[in-house]
Amino acid sequence: MHFEESDEHRALRAAVGAITDGFGPGYFAEHSRERRPTTELWQALGRHGYIGVNLPEEYGGGGGGLVELAIVCEEVAAHGCPLLLLLVSGAIAGEVLTRFGTAEQKSTWLPRLAAGRGKIVFAITEPEAGSNTHRLATTATRDGDGWLLRGTKQFISGVDEADAILVVAKTGTDPDSGRGRLSLFLVDAADPRLTATPLAIEGSAPERQFTLFFDDVPVSAEQLIGTEGDGLRQVFHGLNPERVTGAALGVGIARYALARAADYARTREVWGRPIGTHQAIAHPLAEAAIEVELAALMTARAAWLHDAGEAMAKAAGEAANMAKYAAAEAAIHAVDAAIQTHGGNGMSRDYGLVPLWGMARTLRIAPVSREMILNHVAQHTLGLPRSY
Amino acid sequence: MKIVVCVKYVPDATGDRGFNDDGTTDRESVDSLLSELDEYAIEQALKIVESGVEAEITYLTVGPDDAKDALRKALAMGGDNAIHVNDDDIAGTDALGTSLILAKAIERAGFDLVICGMASTDASMGVVPAMLAERLGVPQVTYLDEVTVEGTTVKGGGTVKGRREGDVATELIEAALPAVVSVTDRTGEARYPSFKGIMAAKKKNVEALDLDDLGIESDQVGLSAAWSIVDTATKRPPRAKGEVVEDEGEGGVQLAGFLAAKKFI
Ligand SMILES: Cc1cc2nc3c(=O)[nH]c(=O)nc-3n(C[C@H](O)[C@H](O)[C@H](O)COP(=O)(O)OP(=O)(O)OC[C@H]3O[C@@H](n4cnc5c(N)ncnc54)[C@H](O)[C@@H]3O)c2cc1C
Repeated sequence: MHFEESDEHRALRAAVGAITDGFGPGYFAEHSRERRPTTELWQALGRHGYIGVNLPEEYGGGGGGLVELAIVCEEVAAHGCPLLLLLVSGAIAGEVLTRFGTAEQKSTWLPRLAAGRGKIVFAITEPEAGSNTHRLATTATRDGDGWLLRGTKQFISGVDEADAILVVAKTGTDPDSGRGRLSLFLVDAADPRLTATPLAIEGSAPERQFTLFFDDVPVSAEQLIGTEGDGLRQVFHGLNPERVTGAALGVGIARYALARAADYARTREVWGRPIGTHQAIAHPLAEAAIEVELAALMTARAAWLHDAGEAMAKAAGEAANMAKYAAAEAAIHAVDAAIQTHGGNGMSRDYGLVPLWGMARTLRIAPVSREMILNHVAQHTLGLPRSY
Repeated sequence: MKIVVCVKYVPDATGDRGFNDDGTTDRESVDSLLSELDEYAIEQALKIVESGVEAEITYLTVGPDDAKDALRKALAMGGDNAIHVNDDDIAGTDALGTSLILAKAIERAGFDLVICGMASTDASMGVVPAMLAERLGVPQVTYLDEVTVEGTTVKGGGTVKGRREGDVATELIEAALPAVVSVTDRTGEARYPSFKGIMAAKKKNVEALDLDDLGIESDQVGLSAAWSIVDTATKRPPRAKGEVVEDEGEGGVQLAGFLAAKKFI
């Protein structure tokens, strides 16, 4: 066993960090306040091959895996610019298309994703189906060679920035279990029969969330990803990477917050000595630092298991859940301790910590909630009875 | 043709740098990296090749084990291969000794053009390029803000042309190759390594050499052979607080007064 990071991974961190520093937390804060996409940063990372690190080389990607994408995700966040859409465009859409897309779908989409010139966002959540995907009510009904999509999706991030949306819809019902048979479709984000209404989400971030209404949106056979009816299994090939990159995002946010807090605690003097001298300030930061380090280890392991392929799929699922759990908790604790360390400045706009708290807090709910992860671990890791 | 770019592994200029008791650079307490000023030299070498000049780019560094990081970063930006001169006896070597080691390594590798940064970000003496040219017996064209190579053939030859921006004049300088040039931070921003570049760097060859390989005796280099010695070092005083002027309608006048007092206007 060895835990030393390779020269390439260290170089990857350094390069992504340097590119992100060219924009910086100020750029991110401004775009967050105005809810304006961070297109310039995304494209700069894309030009240097970092958005598409995990995509195959033959389609313009870097030929790396989820390990590398997670590093990118962590580093941009650790340098003050957490990029939420890496989770959906890079992790879910990238991994699902690479694995299940046809040669034509791959050559149409992957080079654009890899270069940072196009984004695909992801729509699974519905008003009546968040944690419980079996209740999905968006249907794709056969219509000649294709389908008509009908239904409502909610909380869908980045629709305004996207070229296409990867939509999970019901194409049938399993006669035995009565559960929906799901399929994946790639829908043009500008389809006239699709209405996207921005949702008012608190906590500032550059990305917006939308409610989508599909009013019999026609989709052709070329827009079906993978096999009809096999969507649930297929989408898990993307949901685990989403959890891993979500975890990496949490680790990055936490590292950034702790670095700011440590700087502040070293320099801010209240009773003639730096506040970091007081254990009441130092210990919560130290505790968070330990949690972050543990979460980072689990994130790296989960990414590695995913990259190791089908044989490791079960272990990868469990590790991805645990990593996401640990990283969300670590990020919340780190940002909260950082805010407390800053006193009144913790709440001021200039220090930019409250938006990070919003993001860390979101990570406890999305992409999968803390409770659903605990359910999974209780049932699958510990063999306890299922509660729902 | 063959371009050798000299790069140095230095303590991070944004860190809290200092000296050891013997006056040598403290490399322990601050992380080191590829000198930022050398990134401009790398960028210019890559630009020369991109402009259509057929050339092999070799990076050369003299430094401890970790200095290979500087070479890896350079190779990730582009170029072909690298040479790492590393020997315990090199510790404490000054500019004169360094130029000897560099010159021997460059002669061994062969060269048409040597590109250096204008100075290192640690010692900042800026004398190595000139010393190197002298030792190699070729022209030096230093402190260039712009550099191009013309008229090279497979047999060699060609010229290096450059522009040097001074306070009172702009000089256009050229030299027949082989030559040594140094470039400033005004030559244009250095590129970031791409992911493909990082992965490709892994496969590029880094040749490790020691003093024996270069035919240099250990008493020719190192702290004991140094001609320049750091006698004492004093920490830069903390920056004094600036003067804050509340603008109550007189801000412009006060600003002009401040600039005039400092002889800016
Ligand atoms: C900022 C943001 C961005 C998002 N982006 C996207 C996106 O791009 N695409 C997309 O498809 N979705 C997106 N989502 C949606 C997100 O994935 C869901 O909100 C999340 O999966 C939870 O679903 P829900 O909101 O329906 O909560 P519900 O499923 O209604 O759950 C409510 C609460 O009940 C708990 N609960 C539910 N079932 C159980 C149980 N069996 N045991 C114990 N507790 C339970 C949950 O843990 C939760 O705390 C986003 C959400 C946010 C906030």
